[in-house]
Amino acid sequence: MLEIKNLHLNVEGREILKGVDLTLPQGEVHAIMGPNGSGKSTLAYVLAGKKEYEVTAGTVTWKGEDLLAMDPSERAVSGVFLAFQYPMEIPGVATMTFLRTAVNAVRKARGEAELSTPDFLRFVREKAKLLRIDPEMLKRPVNVGFSGGEKKRNEILQMALLEPALCVLDETDSGLDIDAVRVVAEGVNSLRAPDRTMLVITHYQRLLNYIVPDRVHVLSDGRVARSGGPELALELEESGYAEFEAV
Amino acid sequence: MELPVQQFRTKGEQGFLDMFEQAADALPGARDPFVSGLRRNAIEAYGRLGLPHRRVEVWKYTDLRSRLTDAYPLISATGTAVGETELSRAIGSDFAALPSYRLVLAQGDLRADLSDLSGLKAAGVEVISLARALEKPSAWLKKTLGQVNPREDDPVLALNTALMTGGVALRIGADVSLDKPIHLIQFDGKGEAASAVTRNVVIAEPGSSAMVLESYGSFGIGGLQRNAVTEVIINDKAALHHVKLQREGGDALHLTTWLLKIGADARYDAFQFSLGAALARNQIYAQFTGEGSQANISGAFLLRDRQHCDTTILVEHLVPRCGTRELLKAVLDQEARGVFQGKIIVAPGAQKTDSKQMARGLLLSEGAEFDSKPELEIFADDVVCGHGSTSGQIDEDLLFYLEARGIPEPEARALLIQAFVGEALERIEDEGLREAFTKAAADWLGVSTG
Repeated sequence: MLEIKNLHLNVEGREILKGVDLTLPQGEVHAIMGPNGSGKSTLAYVLAGKKEYEVTAGTVTWKGEDLLAMDPSERAVSGVFLAFQYPMEIPGVATMTFLRTAVNAVRKARGEAELSTPDFLRFVREKAKLLRIDPEMLKRPVNVGFSGGEKKRNEILQMALLEPALCVLDETDSGLDIDAVRVVAEGVNSLRAPDRTMLVITHYQRLLNYIVPDRVHVLSDGRVARSGGPELALELEESGYAEFEAV
Repeated sequence: MELPVQQFRTKGEQGFLDMFEQAADALPGARDPFVSGLRRNAIEAYGRLGLPHRRVEVWKYTDLRSRLTDAYPLISATGTAVGETELSRAIGSDFAALPSYRLVLAQGDLRADLSDLSGLKAAGVEVISLARALEKPSAWLKKTLGQVNPREDDPVLALNTALMTGGVALRIGADVSLDKPIHLIQFDGKGEAASAVTRNVVIAEPGSSAMVLESYGSFGIGGLQRNAVTEVIINDKAALHHVKLQREGGDALHLTTWLLKIGADARYDAFQFSLGAALARNQIYAQFTGEGSQANISGAFLLRDRQHCDTTILVEHLVPRCGTRELLKAVLDQEARGVFQGKIIVAPGAQKTDSKQMARGLLLSEGAEFDSKPELEIFADDVVCGHGSTSGQIDEDLLFYLEARGIPEPEARALLIQAFVGEALERIEDEGLREAFTKAAADWLGVSTG
């Protein structure tokens, strides 16, 4: 379970989160929607441990521990995964090397044995197939020359390989056409599990047609302004964010 | 009225002149008029030029005069025990054991017992010890020595010509294609502070194809001043890979100069990897004298403490339709300093020249410094020439991305540094050699490559 209480946060001296309260019970999928600049991506980043953010008040408790006290890599090892809105390009690092380093780092920290090369290749190929990722793509440097859709699928592939307990998806649908959204959503849905909690951040309702959430929260001006069931997303699709931007 | 001009000389500067006067009669070839003439002219040129300092533009970042405060006596082959253990320790076991035609120069002396002379002969490569050849130089050596790409304004080169005591001359026969690299190891160890002055000659005859790896290592010596020159002729339609590993001891001063002449439809691929020495300068002077040729020159530095490494390249396009690619990657930690100076001259009439230079510095600490000075002098109008240079720190966003995938920060940093260097290492075509360099980079970073 993830519990965020009264979270205040500054970025370069400006307060972006102004008291976020949010509880995600284990196994549930929650969506966060909201207008641009409401603090959605900032919330995603602070959960993953972005260093230049300054938390001024509040707590984040994850599996009973203080998440904010952990390094980014410790968070990843403890099961937190952020699918980036803008995945980074890393020239000179082959995708396969990157995936293997990440998987083995997480396994090692969890006290599991590192995967042998053949086992790892089998594991990656199986997951890649599900996401319709061409194995040739994995030979290229991380995200270099990838299309927008390929980058997002690569994020979901990493999620599938690292088997996290908390998945934070930051605008995974942005920049994708409807077919690409469907492929990515199928990948995410295949990872839904009773022991896996998800926080899906999106500006548009369309992603939630494919990834149907248990709860929807609207973030506005750094706070959760409203919460409801999946029908709240549909309502927002009709009315837009005008009501929240006026606040 | 003419005023008498007395040129001021530093102790180090004067030291080399004195050393020459004392050693001249005992240097190899002292009784040969050609060789002794060559030496005499060179020491006179050095006397006029003095040691280079920061007010000499091409030595702006590397003030040799202030660093060479003493001229150490010439090293002599004392019969010190040199075996596999010493070679492995000096240049690393991966390199020492690399499948190759090996040639070992210990204290400037070509060691037949550690070299594969018969293998080279069988493969079509003529090898002669320079120390011996200077006593009675052959016609082809006379035509080559000091004449491949003479640079009369270079005092380091002049000193080398005046004081050279050993080295090898290699002639790769016409149309000979070697199945493994020629590995020339220059090793100096054990003893008092000394100067090691060696001269090598490589002639790639028309249509030949080969790789020459020069490895430099030293340890257990009170202080080493190395001045090594390699003169290289790449004849028409020949291909030469020319690689250098510099793993000198931490207090060594390492100066190397490669002088090149590249014929028509030829290919030259150079890579220089610098890890050691307190101060190092890698000079490359190349001239295109035949059309349709290509030169790729790349390199990497991995430096820390107060190490200083300078790569200075001058490429002259004298004829049309040749291409040059230069890439340097410098990783600099603590107070290390990296220097790249690359000048490309396109002579009048050298149309369709295509050249590109790129130098990148990665600074791992506040105290590190990277100086880069790419230059172009173009006297032809139908050419494509470009250059770029960057200097920066590790990208924090990339680091965060890796950490967010569970990779601890030190490992994530190492991975990004390896990726940075990797772009230069990718230029090495030979897989075994590329892996040895990749491993050397990983060792420097203190990570395993598993």
